[in-house]
Amino acid sequence: MTFGYVGWRLLQVVPTAAAILLIGFLLIHLAPGDPVVALAGQNGDAEYYAFIRDKFGLDEPLPEQLATYASRVVQADLGTSYLQGRPVATIIAERIPATLLLSVTALVLSSVAGVALGSLAASRPHGLVDVASTGATLAVYAAPVFWLGQLAILGLAAGLGWFPVQGMTSPRSDATGLAAALDVAHHLALPALVLASQEIAAVFRLTRVGLLDELGSDHVRTARAKGLSARRVLVKHALRRPLVPVVTVIGGRAGHLLSGAIVTEIVFGWPGLGRLLLSSLQTRDTPVVLGIFLVVAFFVILANVGTDLTYRWLDPRVRYR
Amino acid sequence: MARTPHAPVAASGDVAPAGLDLAVTAPRQRVLRRLVRRPAGIVGSVLTGMFVLVGLFGPALAPYDPFAVVGPSLAPPSWPHPMGTDALGRDLFSGIVAGARTSLLVAGLVGLMVLAIGLVVGTLSSWWGGWVDDSLMRLTELFQVLPRFFLAVVVIAYFGPGLSLLIVMLGLTSWTLLARVVRAEVLSIKEREFVEAARVAGASSTRLVLREVLPNALPAMSAFLGLVLAQVLLIEASLGFIGLGDPNLVSWGYLASQAQRFLRVAWWMSVFPGLAIAVAVLGFNLLSDAVTDVLGSSR
Amino acid sequence: MKLRSLVVMLSLALLTVSCGGDSEPETDATGSTEDTGNVEAGEPVRGGTLVAAIDSDPGQLNPAITTSGGVHAASELMYNGLVELSPSLEPLPELAESWEIEDDGATYRFTLRDGVTWHDGEPFTSADVKYSFEEVLLQLHSRTKASVGAALESIETPDDQTVVFRFSQPYAPLLQQLNVTEAPIVPEHIYAGTDPQENPANQAPVGTGPFQFVSYQPGQEIVLEANDDYFKPERPYLDGVVLRIIPEEANQVIALEEGEVDWIFGVPGPDLPRLEESGDIDFLQTSVNPGGANCIMTVSFNLERPIFQSPEVREAIAYALDRSQFLERVEFGQGAVAEAPIHSGIPFAHAEGLDIPDADPGRAASILEEAGWLREGDGTRVAQGVEGVADGTPLSFNFLSFPTFAQYGELFRSQLAEVGIDVSLETLEPAVFADTVFVKRAFDTNVISYCNGTDPAIGVRRMYISSNIGPIPFSNSSAYRNEEIDQLFDEAIATVDPEDRSPIYQEISEILVKDLPYLWLVETVSTRAYQADCQGFQESGHFAETAFCDR
Repeated sequence: MTFGYVGWRLLQVVPTAAAILLIGFLLIHLAPGDPVVALAGQNGDAEYYAFIRDKFGLDEPLPEQLATYASRVVQADLGTSYLQGRPVATIIAERIPATLLLSVTALVLSSVAGVALGSLAASRPHGLVDVASTGATLAVYAAPVFWLGQLAILGLAAGLGWFPVQGMTSPRSDATGLAAALDVAHHLALPALVLASQEIAAVFRLTRVGLLDELGSDHVRTARAKGLSARRVLVKHALRRPLVPVVTVIGGRAGHLLSGAIVTEIVFGWPGLGRLLLSSLQTRDTPVVLGIFLVVAFFVILANVGTDLTYRWLDPRVRYR
Repeated sequence: MARTPHAPVAASGDVAPAGLDLAVTAPRQRVLRRLVRRPAGIVGSVLTGMFVLVGLFGPALAPYDPFAVVGPSLAPPSWPHPMGTDALGRDLFSGIVAGARTSLLVAGLVGLMVLAIGLVVGTLSSWWGGWVDDSLMRLTELFQVLPRFFLAVVVIAYFGPGLSLLIVMLGLTSWTLLARVVRAEVLSIKEREFVEAARVAGASSTRLVLREVLPNALPAMSAFLGLVLAQVLLIEASLGFIGLGDPNLVSWGYLASQAQRFLRVAWWMSVFPGLAIAVAVLGFNLLSDAVTDVLGSSR
Repeated sequence: MKLRSLVVMLSLALLTVSCGGDSEPETDATGSTEDTGNVEAGEPVRGGTLVAAIDSDPGQLNPAITTSGGVHAASELMYNGLVELSPSLEPLPELAESWEIEDDGATYRFTLRDGVTWHDGEPFTSADVKYSFEEVLLQLHSRTKASVGAALESIETPDDQTVVFRFSQPYAPLLQQLNVTEAPIVPEHIYAGTDPQENPANQAPVGTGPFQFVSYQPGQEIVLEANDDYFKPERPYLDGVVLRIIPEEANQVIALEEGEVDWIFGVPGPDLPRLEESGDIDFLQTSVNPGGANCIMTVSFNLERPIFQSPEVREAIAYALDRSQFLERVEFGQGAVAEAPIHSGIPFAHAEGLDIPDADPGRAASILEEAGWLREGDGTRVAQGVEGVADGTPLSFNFLSFPTFAQYGELFRSQLAEVGIDVSLETLEPAVFADTVFVKRAFDTNVISYCNGTDPAIGVRRMYISSNIGPIPFSNSSAYRNEEIDQLFDEAIATVDPEDRSPIYQEISEILVKDLPYLWLVETVSTRAYQADCQGFQESGHFAETAFCDR
């Protein structure tokens, strides 16, 4: 893999990102509803609206607003929140760690469990382990994530009292250092498990299917034809590149993971981007909404490019497209 | 459907090259027969069939109008109300039945949109290649990285809840997987002997794509369509849960969102809608799993 | 209660200050529960931290630049108004020690409390009051701007301890608009010369209130500690307050039951019986909310639409609706069916003996038949000879609400379907709702929680006067136009003595019930719930000022 390819692949991000910015901006600004009204609440008057409109440049024609916005975004300036009067970039940056912590934990949990389970299942297709784990992961995968969350809260948090109901830290604790980290971990456990349980199914499926494909491929068939046992084939030939399916999952499912994270955050009161998005939607804080949309889209694009590059590096036979 | 820019190479005769029919139909019959032999295929077909039947004939099954106040507030499951009632005293069983129709409508229409767009994009880019392929695949990539759920949440929150908007949104953003599948299938089929034979026999591009290539790509598409529809159902439910469902149609996601306030007093309001969603999604997933499995082993 | 003389106010002030607030008049206007006002169970205990749940992330903590309920719930403990309001809405001294009303109510002269300091140690003076009003409240606090701002002529500060408000004509409701919710005072020395909306102090406020700022973690919590130099002696009792952000009502209840929080601002009705049974939780019912007090869930009819121009249809809808079912099944009995257009929490303006049409579907059907809305079988009624409506037009219309009030729409649709009226629902976030209803006027009916506030001049008049038809959010939603009503409201606002205002509001109410431009459904209350080992809470934004926990 040459640096030329890396550079070219990264360069491709630019038009994609620009298109996403355009789509997001236009959709939001063409929507009905006046952002200013949300700021005024009950009893606002016309003068107040004019003042706010002027302040945020909402009287400019749309193309001009778009141009201003785009030129700011290039300089990493996502504008100012209508509601908080603070830079959107700051507001979003405050929430990224929480969402990242939740998503990455869920990703790691599900990758380890999913690959392990998937390999086990693929080693003996249609065996007991395969059928059981396929059924279990499919069932969890089919359940909506908010429902799993509700059941988990009712059962494990409110019912058995093993986990806190919501939030990221204990309100009464002034712990520092390790104790504080453990406190966060305790709060993280349930939402991460719920989010991961959905992703396990995805990793499991892809690992299993990937391995089965691999087992059906020519060189493995040849190996089989030579009379090698299925298990030996799996270990010697297929599991040589066990990272490949995992990497695919990380890239291909970044968007899915983040949307699952939104819903999980809402159910568990986890103070990340999802909660910020929802509250900003309710108050029509458009700069924040658009900012979150762009940041998430950018993450997903980068994850995809990262996947492509890693995939290519892991498996040099793969040509782009 | 894909229109060819080329003039027909020859008048399309009704006589198909010998052996072609066999090549096309034989795998399809095998697929179906093998499907119902697998547990996943049976369970998947039964669940999906149930979902479709309830969706189609729901009103005949539902004892009440799902919007009418017909019982006491928050009554637990009982004989007159097998799934209990909600806060206003509406029958939840009637709601679940009516919700199946809404979900079926969403799944059906999104499915049609996705099939149509996926077929057009996938076929066009693989059959013509070159710059058509390049630009269409670039478009596919764009839609692939577009965070679909985020986009749906933002657009519906801004434009107001409505089923048609939801269907259009999901249809326009869910076709990428199918386009890629179609493209890959067509690319592989294109070079096969029977297609070559047909081409040599003078069949037009359109005819070839419609009659020979697509039927062969269909099983693979249906496998992936199941996955896409399962995701669509989950997204619809999640939007309903966030409070972005259409208030004039009963949907499972909407019912689940009503349950949120009553989690500890009315378990039935959360459990039954959640189960309904899970069962329908599981049906689609199992079915598509079984199809993939059958296709994988038949090659 | 006759004249608000200096003497009366002073004695009231002494009473409250010396008795820790427990002797506030027991004239709880809503008459809703046994547990109203301040609850005192024995001697206050010092120390401890109270954890309170709030339902949204405020984003910023300056209550003077917004009317957002989320911001006010999170920040009012750090600020004060010139006055505070008792549960029966009597003004009590806070930053202002006393006041005199001159020129029949066109001039208000306030004497400020001596020795008050901001949390950063700077002294509080009349300049802070003048600045807060002129540069912040009257620019950015939409409610105060629209009411006080429209009538105010000037604010003068003859010395550090005196503030004079001058109006062009008598302005009766001023004292009800000076509490921490309507007019929080912010420090001039921090805000002067900056954009108040972007001042960094909005993230780390400096106030005069009972608690001062420690930290704010967006999306998680706001930590406050006791203000040791608070001007009300002995208060607060708590060492600190943590405001924890928990957006889901259901999760708030679970967190309260699990002991993760001590106080929540609202209990969903269905959870109430279970919490009551537990015995560990106490309750406080109130119609005061950070977003506004004395709210009535009100249906508006768009009177610009032909089908609502005849009073018969409005009357029939009123008869078709069973308002007690809204109270029982939507609010779970928390509140009361509205018996008059003005909330019972404003006793002098709440009319008695009115007969709002209610719960008689048979009568609704016959009124509709007579008006020319005919029905075949179970179908939707169709116009046959209705004036201004083409024959064959179905009696179907839409109903808009905030997502939080969706249940009102659900029940509205269900009850009207019984008499052959077809309703389609639209739930819209507040911003879109306001734009659709008040700017575009693209609706037939809607439901709004009209908060009457602490005086009819604040939250009642705006709904009915004809000059409020047009793009003013949450004003005259029905587009009701009645010259007599306009005159009566003008008369009421210029009348200072509440006893003289009562008959005017009685007359207004009678006309409104006859005209039915709106339908008043339910007076809502919210139920605060807290751990029983904590006591001494207040209804107002200073809920924790006199609270203490014995544990």
